[in-house]
Amino acid sequence: MGLQAPLWRAVTVFRVAALVYATVLMLTGFRDFTRPWLGWAVLAAMIAWTAVTGVHYHDPAGRNRSWLAADLAFTLACLLASMLVVPAAKLSSGGATLPMAWVAGAVLVWALRGGRRAGGIAALIVGAADLFLRGEITSATVNGTVLLLLAGGVMGYVSRLTDDAETRLQRAVELEAATRERERLARGMHDSVLQVLALVQRRGTELGGEAAELGRLAGEQEAVLRSLVGVHVTAAVAGTADLRLLLGRYGSPLVTVATPATPVLLPAAVAAELAAAAGSALDNVATHCGSSARAWVLVEQEPDAVTVSIRDDGPGIAPGRLAEAATSGRLGVAQSIQGRVRDLGGTVAITSGPGQGTEVELRVPLPR
Amino acid sequence: MVVDDHPMWRDGVARDLTDAGYRVVAAVGEGAQAVRIGPSVRPEVVVLDLQLPDLSGVEVIQGLVAALPQVRVLVLSASGEQQDVLDAVKAGAAGYLLKSAAREEFLDAVRRTAEGDAVFTAGLAGLVLGEYRRLAAAPGDGADAPRLSERETEVLRLVAKGMTYRQIAERLTLSHRTVQNHVQNTLGKLQLHNRVELVRYAIEQGLDD
Repeated sequence: MGLQAPLWRAVTVFRVAALVYATVLMLTGFRDFTRPWLGWAVLAAMIAWTAVTGVHYHDPAGRNRSWLAADLAFTLACLLASMLVVPAAKLSSGGATLPMAWVAGAVLVWALRGGRRAGGIAALIVGAADLFLRGEITSATVNGTVLLLLAGGVMGYVSRLTDDAETRLQRAVELEAATRERERLARGMHDSVLQVLALVQRRGTELGGEAAELGRLAGEQEAVLRSLVGVHVTAAVAGTADLRLLLGRYGSPLVTVATPATPVLLPAAVAAELAAAAGSALDNVATHCGSSARAWVLVEQEPDAVTVSIRDDGPGIAPGRLAEAATSGRLGVAQSIQGRVRDLGGTVAITSGPGQGTEVELRVPLPR
Repeated sequence: MVVDDHPMWRDGVARDLTDAGYRVVAAVGEGAQAVRIGPSVRPEVVVLDLQLPDLSGVEVIQGLVAALPQVRVLVLSASGEQQDVLDAVKAGAAGYLLKSAAREEFLDAVRRTAEGDAVFTAGLAGLVLGEYRRLAAAPGDGADAPRLSERETEVLRLVAKGMTYRQIAERLTLSHRTVQNHVQNTLGKLQLHNRVELVRYAIEQGLDD
């Protein structure tokens, strides 16, 4: 309800201002009126109605169809009463009606409640009544109706916008609460679980034997948990993904993932492909260098490109082995890494030598 | 001095250090306590857990460095929360290690910290590298942002890819000492920039009197 309330208040303010204008017009013109007393009576009714609706619309439940219909009907009645008060010659030459701009109040209310379409309909009805009143199409009539249509349209649009904004705000508040809860859990986890797992890993490894195996398992779980709780949820821009989160999943006691402290945002599809390419490079490390080989992943963000390097401390690849594999049809590395990266418009550089480990560098340009 | 709120860890780390021949002058569980007793026990090296119940890691480091300019802080953290680690290093920590590191690795890190070397893990090198890139790309103060020389960038990248100083020295045909100096410089420039920024902020806010 929060964001709509100021708009409804604004309508009441508008009506009060329009009343002042109508009163001034009345004071300057009532001597020419055919029935001045009726003119004063209509003005009094308008004041009363402004007060009643101002109070009534304050409660959101009061903004219902029957009140809106009554509001428009009352406005039309005030407008049409001008026929009995203002001389016909004056009306047909474009002179002021009794309520003047005050009629726009009902149009604004309709637009607020029902959107652009309802605002437009109300504007057309008021415009038709105005035309009927004056008896002929004058530039003043057309002008007035167009202004009413504009007012109704704009107000309807703003009303929808605030509705949307309110829904989003609600969602953001929920997300924030969820994030805070997550951080609370992460803190709790740090204080207990992570500490104990790291301790088990360390003491286990020192004791050796079966305890070392337990220690290794604890270490794996510690790495997984750490990557789960360690990174803050960053407000995701629609359609983008933080490459750090995707690559962080590969972290383990054997695989170190080094990244900047700030999010590396890429279009979601690009990030997923790049992470998958890095994943197959890591799979490759495990396949060719044995399950105990260590690997390091480095993510670098430059102004115009993102680079992901995967290095292992395995035996390395002999020169020509890659090309040989490609020609003999075993295209594991070539296809799944080079293919993916080339599709993103990027490049792959593989450097290696016997005994020096292998380094795969994936470089993808950032979209402008 | 050991600062860790987890009693099991605090005792374990203190025991490891004692066994290795170090003298543990204090083992405390709160940041404020560490800052308070720091000047009287005068530790050479502080092993600091980043997540303490009362103060942030940065506050503890700033407090300790203000009272003991020569003190070297080795950050030991379980969660590896990246921004926290980076902030701690910028505030003056000499190195950073995950708690899951093996005991030998930890003792080696303490020894190197005591000798005045920067203790860089691959993860920390990635963070520092990212921070330099971020500062260079940041609009406005790009001109006075600290920059790495080509050689420093090269060395830092290799550290971030998990290579040891010895391997880097071999690859770039440098001496071990030169590699170490390059790494040390990358950290020094960042800490200096951080101090300059803090002073500038203080002056802008009128806190310099």
